[in-house]
This record gives sequence, structure tokens and C-alpha cells, in this order.
Amino acid sequence: MISLRAVTKRFGERTLFGGFDLDLAPGKTTVLMGRSGSGKSTLLRLLNQLERHDAGTLRCGELEIPAGLPHGEWQRRTLQLRRRTAMVFQSYQLFPHLSVLDNVTLAPRVVRGAERSAIEAKARELLAQVGMAAAAERFPARLSGGEAQRVAIARALATDPEVLLLDEPTSALDPNSTADVVAVIADLKRRGMTLAMVTHDPDLGRSLADQLVELPRLRG
Amino acid sequence: MAHVASLLALLLLLVDGCALFAQSLPQRYRDAGEIRWGADAEGGAPFVFVDPNNPRGGEVGFEVDLATELGRVLGVRFRRAQVPYESLVQVLDRGDCDIVLNGFEATPARQALVRLSRPYYVFQQQLSVGAKSTDVRSLDDLVGKRVGVLGQSQSHQLLLERPGIEIVVYESNVTAYEDVVNGRNAASLADVPIARALRPMFPQLRDVGEPFGAYHYCLGIRRSEPELQRALDAAIGALLADGSLERIYRRWSLWTDAQRQLGDPAVANAYVDTAGSASPAGSGAFDWGMAMALLGEGALRTFGISVVSFALAVLLGMAVALWRLHGPRPLRWLAVVYVELLRGTPILVQMLLLYYGLGSIEWLQLGAVEAGVLGLALNYAAYEAEIYRGALLAIPRGQREAAMTLGFTTAQMLRHVVVPQALRLSLAPSTNDFIALFKDSSIVMVITVVELTKQYQMLANQSGRFIVLGLVTSGLYLAMSLPLAFLARRWERAMERDHA
Repeated sequence: MISLRAVTKRFGERTLFGGFDLDLAPGKTTVLMGRSGSGKSTLLRLLNQLERHDAGTLRCGELEIPAGLPHGEWQRRTLQLRRRTAMVFQSYQLFPHLSVLDNVTLAPRVVRGAERSAIEAKARELLAQVGMAAAAERFPARLSGGEAQRVAIARALATDPEVLLLDEPTSALDPNSTADVVAVIADLKRRGMTLAMVTHDPDLGRSLADQLVELPRLRG
Repeated sequence: MAHVASLLALLLLLVDGCALFAQSLPQRYRDAGEIRWGADAEGGAPFVFVDPNNPRGGEVGFEVDLATELGRVLGVRFRRAQVPYESLVQVLDRGDCDIVLNGFEATPARQALVRLSRPYYVFQQQLSVGAKSTDVRSLDDLVGKRVGVLGQSQSHQLLLERPGIEIVVYESNVTAYEDVVNGRNAASLADVPIARALRPMFPQLRDVGEPFGAYHYCLGIRRSEPELQRALDAAIGALLADGSLERIYRRWSLWTDAQRQLGDPAVANAYVDTAGSASPAGSGAFDWGMAMALLGEGALRTFGISVVSFALAVLLGMAVALWRLHGPRPLRWLAVVYVELLRGTPILVQMLLLYYGLGSIEWLQLGAVEAGVLGLALNYAAYEAEIYRGALLAIPRGQREAAMTLGFTTAQMLRHVVVPQALRLSLAPSTNDFIALFKDSSIVMVITVVELTKQYQMLANQSGRFIVLGLVTSGLYLAMSLPLAFLARRWERAMERDHA
């Protein structure tokens, strides 16, 4: 689905990882684990190019993003990559000026030019899927952390991504909320969604992973 | 008997040098040893000005010479006080000068407000048009045309008495002529001494018709000082009798046959009776209904100018802020230069450049209102841009990333996620700017737009009713800004609620 080949990422003088290979298998869940500072979030963010790699190649189907592309070409290919993936953040990043429903419908409307009426039914379905149907008209400031994260997942799914990237989706949540969100993620896994998730919670990681990638401690 | 009197006069002259009339001067001026005469040196030649060819020569002008001569016969020093032409009467009333001596025309409005001395100069009116103009030969041809005049002047008064002329009021005769040269106005009417003095500056202008009318320059004296008026009348009479006036006027090429009227008792006594009447001539006649209508009109114009220019400033300001943060490099630099240039220079200068500077280029010429709106918009856009830049930077990076990972282009991200949030953040500070703009909009008066503050100034100057008219004017400004202040506070509170 998405693969990294011999990918190197540097921050100034430091090499975070060098010559790294990774394959996300379709319909499978890949969990990235490691201590803080190991670069697991950076690795996940490479998969949708929120971070750029310094060497190696990223592939997503026929789409290829080698390191060192000119900016314009990189931008063009990255846009395609991002339209086939979606991401869920540790801090939710819902759009505070939009209602829950509008948060979910915005991307399909803007990116695909979908009619509001057409996308709205689907958005309500997705909200029902994550247990947030009743909150459609509320604003993000009125949601608890767990509710916000479930809306964020619905927002990500609304773009019909081939791969869903989850960056520490439960780290900011209390235990009850964590259970709600984990249930939603487990449900996605059951439905055959391709997932890549970063977590520092070993139990959660092992319970969901088809493939577990342990990043070593950062080399000096 | 007559012999004895003239002998005595001659004796006095010998004994007392020149200060013939010192005894007639009120005690306080004799004690002070000086009389402060109010005049505006910006009014220019030939009244009182600094010779551009000899800037170190100090102030010169026929009225400087006149003041010196008056001082000689009255036995006190005449010291000039700088007073804006349009405020001469108010400054005199406040006591910051003792008399007005500044081409002060004996208009009916002024006769109601101050004492006027006997005339010391008889002047006429001169109509001037652009070199190419052919259809204007006299005042009668001006109906439906734009004509520039100096505010509060005799020329202004004359045009007001002729319906159908579109009067444009200036604070200086130079700019009034400027706008005839660049074609904004069909003609300008001015006092002959001014027209003659400024002619070398404006070779493109042509005088039409003969000078006409006969009007008087007088000294202005506070209503409460009849003794001072009598002393000054006597002093002017003495200068007329001994030929000093004629000498001065000939030196400045201002001597005309009309000056012979100065000795005519009807002219000499023209303002003795009207001046100083406790209830001014215009007082009962002051038309409050008309004044309120004019202030209302001014308020509407202020409102219109402010709303339109702020709307433009918001759009341009947002564009500049986005260029600065997200534009390609040249556009980024341009945005920085724009903001610093517009914030770092006085809006007054920007306004004058926009109107008179560009006015000299035909295809860039803007009407006064358009130039005013544009000037305010360009200036305020710089401030709005900084507000928006701050607000755009305050949107967390995670918001941009969230939009990007959903497949938005940069433009879509800005349009749907960042800008709407930034606008909400900037709503309160931006509204405060809007309130400030309502008051700053009065700056457009320097390019002849008559808005609320200017209308107030003109009405108050004509009537002397500064307090009541000032309160009404302030009330109108408050009526515009208070609702906005209320809205700004509500938005601020809503914002705090949302981010709590």
C-alpha cells in the first residue's frame, strides 16, 4: 500500500534513521513503537510527507516520491498522496470555527467538490459509526477529549482514505475515553481498513498490531 | 484757534517723536508696550510671508510694513502671532492675540462676531480660469461648474450668494489654483492682491474679466474693546493722511485708484456702528434647522467614506498579510515595504500626494471623495495587515497540518481553515481600528471634502456657536462609534467563551 525504501531522515547533523524500509500491508494494522525521541512520529509523518525524507523513496501504488524532488513537483505528488491517506492527531485538531458536522463534510466539499446534501448523509453515518451522531450540531469547544478524537476519526474517514495514519490517538485521553476511541479503531481494523498507528502504550500496540515496528533508541 | 491747534500738533510731533496717538491707546497696551497681531504666514504673499528667494530675511509683506507703521504712530511694538487663517476670530476671542491683521475681509459673518476698524485697503475680486477654457467670461457663466475659493473669504461669501455654483472650499489659494490648473475645477475666485501675488506661480492660469466689486480689509478687534478700535481707527487715519499707506501699497505694487475711497467718510465709518453690537447681526438669523441639516449631511458623508474605505482596507489588509506570510518572495518583500511605508509616513502627506501629486497627471486624476476614500483605505490597510498577520500566526500549526493531511491545497487551507479563524481573532482589534477611522476620516478635509468635522468648522466659524455645534457634532460621531464599540466588546466576550 505505502512503502518506504532505504529512507533516511536527518535533523541537522543528527540522523534519525538511515536506510529504513517499511511496508504497510493492505487491510493490516502496522503499529510503530519506541521511546520518546526515537522518531516514531516522524516516521509516521513521513508517510504523508508532513516530514520530507533526505534519501530513499516513498511509494504509494504507482505514485513515487523520491527524495530531493523540486518543490513544485514534490507539492503536486504530495497532494495526490494526501488525497489517498488521512491522519488523526494526538491533539485532535478539529476546526474550532465549524460544527462537528461541518468538520466532517468540509474536506469532501472542498477537495472533491461534493454537494453538501450528498455528503451530509454519509457524514452522519460516519458520526454514527464512531458513536457521535447526537453531537452533529455541536462545536468542538463543547466536546470532551474522547468525543473530539472520535469526531476527528470520522473527519479523516470522510475523505475515503486508503490508509489511515493515527499519531498517538489516545495519549491525551483519560481511561474511559481511551476505551471508546480504541473500540472505534478496533472496529476499523475489523472492517479491513489499512492502519498505521504510533503509540507508546505497549498493551494497546500489541493488541491491535498485525505488524509491530519497534524503533531503536536514537543513535547519538 | 485753528492755528493754535495745528501749532500744538506740530509741537507734539516734535516733542513726542512719532507716537502721536499713544495717549489714545488703552492703558494695558501702553503698559505691555506691544500689540500682538494675529496672522497666518502660510497665507503667503503679499500679506505676510517669508520670501523664498531670501529665506533669512525674515517675514515680509505689506501687512508687516503696515504693522510697523501702526506701531510707530501708536508708540508700541507690533509683534506677530501665528494664527491659522480659518481660526482668526476664535483665537482673537480667546485672547491669544490682540488684533487681527491678515487680509481680514469685512464679511457680514465677521461683522457679527468682532469689531472692525476703518478699512485700510480696498480690494476687488478676480476670476481666473485655465488657459484652455473659453466658456467662462464672468460669474454668470459659472452656474453648474466647480469653482474653488478660500474658505471664510469674501470670494466664498460672493459665491454663496449665487445659487447653482458648485463651491469647493480650500484652506489655501495655492491649492485652489492648483485644482484649476489640473482641470478639477473650472475657475477660482480670489482677492486681487492674492491673485496678483500668485500669478507668477501659475502661468497656466488666465484672468477673465476686469477686477470687480469694492471690498475692505480691516483690522479685527474684540467686541469688548471700543477704545482700542478708536485708537486703531485714528492710527489708520493718520497713516492715510501722511501718505504712509500709499507708500506701502506702491512699494508692493498694490496701489490702485480704488484706494482713494479710503478717505471717503462713508468708507471710513462703514463699520463703526455695526461692530461691537452686543447681539451680533447674524445671531437672531442663525438658521438652526439649516445647520442641523448640514451637519446631518456631513455625518452621512463621514459614515459613507468610513464604511467604504474600511471595507477596502479589510480586503487589501488581508491580501497584504497573506502575501507577507505565504506569497512568493518578491510579493513578500512588497508586502513588508507597503506596510512600513504606509505606517511610517503621515496620512496627511499621503492624502496630499494622492490628490494634488497624482492630480497633475491627467489619467491618474481622482475626484476628492475618491482620493479621500482611497487614501484612508491604503493607510488603514497597512494597520489591518499587521492585525491579520498576527492573527494568522496565532492559528496553531496543527490546524494547517490537519487541513493539509485532508488533501487541501495551500489556498484551500487558507481559505477554509486559517483565514476564517484569523478573522474571528482579529474582529475585536479590527473593530477598534474602524472606530478610529471614523474620527480620522476628517483628514479628507485637506483635499476639499466637506465631511462632518469640516462642516462643523465652517458653521462654527460663521456663527461663533462653537459649543452647541461642537456638542451636536460630537453626538453624531458617538452615534456612529458607540454601536461599534458595543459590538467589539460582545465579540471579545464571545471569543473568550469559545477559547475557555
